[in-house]
Parts: sequence; C-alpha cells; structure tokens
Amino acid sequence: MNRFATIFRKEFTDTIRDRRTLFVMIVFPLLLVPALMIIVTNMQMSSMKKAEEKTLRVALVARGNAAGLVAGLTGRPDIRVVEGIPADSMEAMIARDSIDAGVVVAADFDAHVADMKSGTIRLFYKSSDDFDMVKRRLSDIIAVYEKTIVTGRFARLRIDAGIVTPLSIEEHDVASMKERIGKTVGGMLPYLFVIFCFMGSMYPAIDLAAGEKERGTMETLLTAPVTRFQILLGKFAVVVVTGLLSAVVSIVGIFLAVRQASTIPPAVFNAVMAILDVQSVLLVLSLLVPLTVFFAAFLLSVSIFAKSYKEAQSMISPLMIVIILPVLIGLFPGVALDSVTALIPVLNVSLATKEIIAGTIKPGLLVEVYASLFVLAGASLFGCARWFGREETIFRGV
Amino acid sequence: MIVVDNVTKTFSVSRQQRREMGPEFRGTRIDAVRSVSFTCRPGRIFTLLGPNGAGKTTMLRMIATMLRPTGGSITVAGFDVVTHPVEVRKRIGFLTGNTGLYDRLTPDEMIKYYADLYGMDPVTYARRREEIFGLLGIQEFAGRRIGKLSSGMKQKVSLARTIIHNPDVVVFDEPTSALDVVTSRAIIQLIRRCREEGKTVIFSTHRMGEVSLLSDDLAIIHRGSLIFNGSYKEFETQMQTRSVEDEFVRLVEAA
Repeated sequence: MNRFATIFRKEFTDTIRDRRTLFVMIVFPLLLVPALMIIVTNMQMSSMKKAEEKTLRVALVARGNAAGLVAGLTGRPDIRVVEGIPADSMEAMIARDSIDAGVVVAADFDAHVADMKSGTIRLFYKSSDDFDMVKRRLSDIIAVYEKTIVTGRFARLRIDAGIVTPLSIEEHDVASMKERIGKTVGGMLPYLFVIFCFMGSMYPAIDLAAGEKERGTMETLLTAPVTRFQILLGKFAVVVVTGLLSAVVSIVGIFLAVRQASTIPPAVFNAVMAILDVQSVLLVLSLLVPLTVFFAAFLLSVSIFAKSYKEAQSMISPLMIVIILPVLIGLFPGVALDSVTALIPVLNVSLATKEIIAGTIKPGLLVEVYASLFVLAGASLFGCARWFGREETIFRGV
Repeated sequence: MIVVDNVTKTFSVSRQQRREMGPEFRGTRIDAVRSVSFTCRPGRIFTLLGPNGAGKTTMLRMIATMLRPTGGSITVAGFDVVTHPVEVRKRIGFLTGNTGLYDRLTPDEMIKYYADLYGMDPVTYARRREEIFGLLGIQEFAGRRIGKLSSGMKQKVSLARTIIHNPDVVVFDEPTSALDVVTSRAIIQLIRRCREEGKTVIFSTHRMGEVSLLSDDLAIIHRGSLIFNGSYKEFETQMQTRSVEDEFVRLVEAA
C-alpha cells in the first residue's frame, strides 16, 4: 500500500507538471469550452437579431391585385418594396443578392378570391440565408392578409368563424420545467463530460505507459522492489483521477458558461440551475467512476502495448469516435434507458444522466447501470493487469 | 553473488519479425539465450562481452528479474529471480546506457522516489543522499528540473539512482553506450568503486577497451551461447600476442 502511494504520488506530480495534460484536463474544459459556448451562442443570437431587424428588399408584382397585401408590405418600415422588376428576373436577382425576396401576385388573383377560389401568390426567397428569416417574415405578413380574406368570406356567407374550430383543446403538460429542461440539457451533458473524461485520461495514460517506455524509465522502474501490479495500480489511479477531474472541471465550466450567458430567459436559467443540484451532480459523477476505471484500464492497455508516445497517440485517437458514437445515440429521439440499453457501456451513462437530471430515473435501472459498469470496470482492470504482466507487451519495442 | 545455472530464454517470434529475419528463419520461437552458466563473485567485476544481438541485454534483464528464464535458474544474493523477485530487486542496482529520467522531476525528487520504493528509512536516506550527492557533485543542481540539465548531469543522477539503496549487486547494461568520454569515465570510476566496496558487479559491453580496463572475470556471448567463460587472466593467456579485439573475433568466427 505504501509503495502504491509512493508511485501514485510521483506519477500524479509528474502528470500535473505536464503542460499538455494540464491544458486538456483543466484549461480546455474550464475556460476554452465555456468561452466557445458563450461566443458561439452570442454570435448566433446576434445574427438572428440582425436578420429579424434587417430591412428587406422585396420585389413586388401585383398588377393591381391583392391591395391588402400590397398595403401590408408597403406600409412597413422594415420592408422596402421594389417595383418594376419582372417576375422572371427575380430568381437571378435574389441569387446575386440584389434583392432579398420577390412576391408575384397572379393576374387573376382578385377574380379567384372574389369567386371564393384560391388566388396564387408566388414567393421567391433563398432559404439558406439568415436562418430562413426572409420567408418567415413574409409568410407572417401573407398570413395576416389571408386571415382578412377568410374573415371577409365568413361574413359574406354569414357563418360564425367558430365553425372551423370544432375542437377546443386545453393542454395540461404534467412535465415540470426541471423535467423538460433536464431531458434536453441532460442529453447534452454526457456529450461533454464523457468526452472530457476520456480526453483527461488519454494523455496521462499515454505518458505514463508508452511515454515511460520510450524515455527508458520503465526498465529501471521494473527493477525496483515493487510488483508489476503495484506499478500498474499507481499509474492506473492517476489516470482515473485525471479523467474524473477533467469531467468535474467540464461540469464546472458548463455551470460558469450558463451563469455568464445573458441570452438565456430567466425561467430557463433558473430551471438549469435547479437541475444542477448537488445530489444530481454527485449521482452523475458516481456513474462516471466505473466508466473512468474502464477508460483508464483500456487506455493503459493500449498505451503499454505501443512502442512510443506517437504510436500510442495514433492508436488511441481514432477510438474517440467509438466513445462519441454511443453518446450521440443517446441523443436520438426514442432511445430510452431500459433493461437492454442499461447494459451498453457509455450509452447507459448517457441515458442514465438524462434521467437523473430530469429526476425520472428508475432505481432498478440505475442499479443495472451500476452493476454493468462495475463488472466492465473490474473485467477491464483484470485484463489490463494480465496484459501488463506479459513480457511480450511490456518489452515490445524496448 | 550471482549464480546463473544452465539458463535458456526463448521468445516467440511475431509474423513481422519472421519477415524481417528472412526466409532462412523457420519456426515460431527463437532462443535468445541458450544453456548459459556463470558465477559473478563479490568484489569482482564480471564482464559480459558480445556483439549486438548476442543476448547480453536478455541475460541481464533476467538477472534483474524483468524477464523470466524459460529454463535453468538464477540466484542473486541467494534469492531465486523467479520465486523471490522482490527480494532480488531490493539487492540490485540497474543501469543501462539508455536509462531515462523523469524530466519533470528534480534530481532530489527522482532519487527520493527510488529511495521510497526501496523502502529506505528517512535517516538512512538522508545519510546516503549526503554521501552520494557529494561524491557525484549533484548538490548544486539537485533542485532543478531534470529536463533542464546537461547530459552529463543527467548521467550523474542516473548513477545516484542506481546506488542510492547501497545494493549488494550492481548490473550495468552497456552503461557507456552513446555517452561522451568524460561521462563514460565517471561511470567506469563508479564501477571500480563498487568493486572496492565489495559489491558484485556485472556489466555488459561491446567495447573492447572497457574489457581490459575493468574485467576481473569475463564471459563472451555469441548467438545466445557462451563461447568463453573464465578469468580475464585466463583470457589474456589465451590471447597470446593478439589484441582483445582480435581474440574476440577469432572466438566468434570459430563458434
């Protein structure tokens, strides 16, 4: 135990003095990710606001029809109506960005409307620009105009407008704000902390195994009066601690980012703060412990097999996709925690986190998730210890 | 004392290694060391001489308990390397020419780490540290990060790490390879000092000059087998008027 502590202390000191590890473990999740989140969100909000407030240049061909629509368009300060552009030039002009949209009212529009038929309005726009805001804004104006026509028709036919709304639906959503936000945020959280947990374990695992082999320090360490299992356990504990630390730091980073974000409505903000309560966070972290043990055992096994730091890095980096995939599946609609998904590593953590955050986790399924993760962690540690004890592995390339 | 008795070490050969060895190699296993026996006595320097790939490193790694012999037995200071590896490790110091250090630690931290692994008590460690740091002149840079030290300074730290626990047996695996003349000389002095202190010293080399400088006893290993095993005096008698290098080549070609 004493020698394990000695190895752990040294490896931890060595690891936290490595700038690369420190960056991935602390700086990246704590500062960079929240900063990026805030910058991207603010940029998106600002662009949306700009698109909403932008004065649209709309080419209009009405040929004396749809007077209400023409009045609706010309009377607005945020729309500049451009007349005299032929309908067949509109597509090209929108593509060239000379105008933002085109509205063409059919020549027989008024006649059709008067005959209680449908009148045709052609709307030209480019959906790929400005969050499709041009179409939305024009559609809103057209919808108002359409409503006046419909109201006029009801009056003309002396029909109560209520006749077309035979159902009156009173909605009672029993999901609390915590549950609704929890299912969304709880789906996104694992995406961040599982990845950071993996990344936080990755560099120390490479450095403490392949790096140690490459530097020639492994050979001398093996001549010290400690068992290989003690050496492995010391290194393994450091990898687990750094992985967990990285995950915790990423949660702190998200928390700080949410606190700093000025664009979140107060109701949503309060709900997000409420779901990040100590009990939920601790429960989620307790799921991460066996998962990190699995990551650490797996990463150390690969790393000790590699001949050099570089080889270990090239072997481990693609595995990130294998980790991301189950987390992404957890975000798919319809994928829920059940007795089968509770057994699938990473996916079970992702789904269980969603349920914990939303406050809807079933104790039986949580126990199944824990059991499956602890069996996986134990098996991977056992496998890693066996692998570490093999001469062919430890002296590969030495 | 080190007693090596009829030791063999066999490695399995991977498909890639088979390809590298050419079509003349058939089989899936190769003997790196074959039926080797010798004895290293306290207060004497035992030299293991052989060309690259002869099996020197494999032999020394088995003595240092890193590799398990496939056949035969090795005892170090009375302990069997297979049944009591930790007892053996307590009693040996091991140094190779490629020994690395932890760049992010200071010499003080590095040496303390190994002292703790060897289970040294604080009083013994403090005394031994004083003695070795003074002997090797480490004190002035003991608090600087190893990554910032010169290669000569690093080698001194490696030497301190090897002998901090005052081992009975010291194993040097090509300790001077890739080192400059000044640093090599420091190692040679240390090897001699170990002999004077009555330690059992075994060192491997492919440098002929070091053989005549240091050896009390000599074994020549070629393709895993010993082709000479005796005292250096016996070897000198056998050499007649030939140089060490000529005699070595003669033995290797005759094998």
